Amino acid sequence: MNSVLQEIYSTILPSMPFIIGAYVLVWVALFVYVIFAMRRFKTVESQLALVERTMNDRVMNDRQ
Amino acid sequence: MEDMRKSKHPIGGLADKLALPALTLGTVLTALAFLLAFTVASPVMGAKVNGVELIGDEMIGNQILLSQKIFYFHMPVAVTSMVVLAGTAFFAIRFLMTRDALYDLKAKICTELALVFVICTMITGDLWTRFEWGVWWTWEPRLTTYLILTLMVIAYFILRAAVDEPERRATFASVFSIIMFIDVPISFMITRLIPSSVHPVILRTDSGLSPDMLAPMLCALFGFSLISYGLYRFRTRTEIIGQRVDVLKEALDNKLGN
Amino acid sequence: MAVSVKKPSTFAQFKTLLIKDLQREFRTKDMLSSMAIYALLVLVVYGAALSQTGRQFDILQMSGGLLWALIVFTSLLGLNRSFSYEKEDGCLEGILLVPLDRSVVFLSKACSNLIFLLAVEVLILPLFFFFFLTTTTPAPTWPMMLLPLFVGTIGIAGIGTLLSTITVNTRGKDVMLAVLFIPLIFPLLFACVSATTVVVAGGDIEGIFRNSVLMAAGYDLVMVLLSWVLYDFVVSA
Repeated sequence: MNSVLQEIYSTILPSMPFIIGAYVLVWVALFVYVIFAMRRFKTVESQLALVERTMNDRVMNDRQ
Repeated sequence: MEDMRKSKHPIGGLADKLALPALTLGTVLTALAFLLAFTVASPVMGAKVNGVELIGDEMIGNQILLSQKIFYFHMPVAVTSMVVLAGTAFFAIRFLMTRDALYDLKAKICTELALVFVICTMITGDLWTRFEWGVWWTWEPRLTTYLILTLMVIAYFILRAAVDEPERRATFASVFSIIMFIDVPISFMITRLIPSSVHPVILRTDSGLSPDMLAPMLCALFGFSLISYGLYRFRTRTEIIGQRVDVLKEALDNKLGN
Repeated sequence: MAVSVKKPSTFAQFKTLLIKDLQREFRTKDMLSSMAIYALLVLVVYGAALSQTGRQFDILQMSGGLLWALIVFTSLLGLNRSFSYEKEDGCLEGILLVPLDRSVVFLSKACSNLIFLLAVEVLILPLFFFFFLTTTTPAPTWPMMLLPLFVGTIGIAGIGTLLSTITVNTRGKDVMLAVLFIPLIFPLLFACVSATTVVVAGGDIEGIFRNSVLMAAGYDLVMVLLSWVLYDFVVSA
């Protein structure tokens, strides 16, 4: 490559890590939030299971 | 869930059925935008070089900047964060008008999403500045305004954590979010219009958007909007179910106590 | 026979509340003196901070910024204390029992805060000049700095009253106020620092000064109006 072409493309390689880094970090941030949302959902589900179990126990106790 | 479909805050209805497709479509769109940004959009010219070369079928006389590609994610994310904040302010006003706690819940979820998108904006903006100007931080209008916005969103959550009674917490949070939403455009304008003598306002050279640049940007914009919509419905549904479970628990506790 | 009482006019209500605050302060001078001493201490800290700057340092360029930082910190202190008095003696509940429009409470509180802040600024300004600006001569336009000072203080008092009403009910009152206050006040700060620096250090007076003061005034208008409207919700909570 002659020197002019080299100069034209000179900023591309050094900037590559930052560009890719920026895109990846955006995805990571969204992913972290999705994980947080899933954890909240699992908590709510486990609370629901708890309520169900307690209701069942009570019904059993009433029958006895 | 049939009764919930007709209530004032419906869940399980059409809005929720759209949530999952919206999420997938949004993800696909943003990935597409990423690809388009590198393939379709024409590169932005930087500083002049000595001499001209023939590349493709154009005479290029400047350095080709790759760093501008971040813009295709940076601006959609910034716009999405403002839209989500508008949502927060809207729900805050509705709460103050009706005192319905679910509006406060929706406002809180919108603010969570806003936090995520504001952090994304800060990340992309900061990395852009790092590459293009070589410094990790500069007090330019856009970065400063977003820093202030980040602080305000974090302050919202700190305020919510510091008040114990639910109704008071909701009232204070709503008032603060309304003020926050009005303060952001003011902050933006003021930092832009008043020149700071130390750091001159760095004018971006990408003000002109050619049509082929529009494609990846709009793609990313729609993509992120759909993603935020999908996440919003998911979180809202989770929280509303959580509230119903809490009500059940309390009723059960009362009955068992007798 | 029924006793009829004429309901006092809004202005009379406002005046009464305002005079109550001012009277309390003049009797004890508690808040004013603590704010003044705090300002003095901050100036001493500035002295230490700037001790290594040497001859080439252009203090005039930084003076606007330093002065406004001082004002912000002192205001935080004053705003917190002004509302905590109401809370301590149960005064706020008493006021709320009276059937008056809640915005009158806002106006009177904001005005009393404004008066206290201005009074402290009258004390701080000569101190600042004494400590930092006697080695250089400020530009001849420096008296114009009183205008952004006034406009900025109005904004600080307005938003600060609303925010201190919120934070006096939370845990961690002082830090909470700072956390809420500083991001919101940032644009005002920016405009006022710019206006003050341009008249103290000399520069393009017409353009920058006028723009900055207009911006600050615009901020004041929007924010004070907003605080007025939202105050009812906050103080009734």
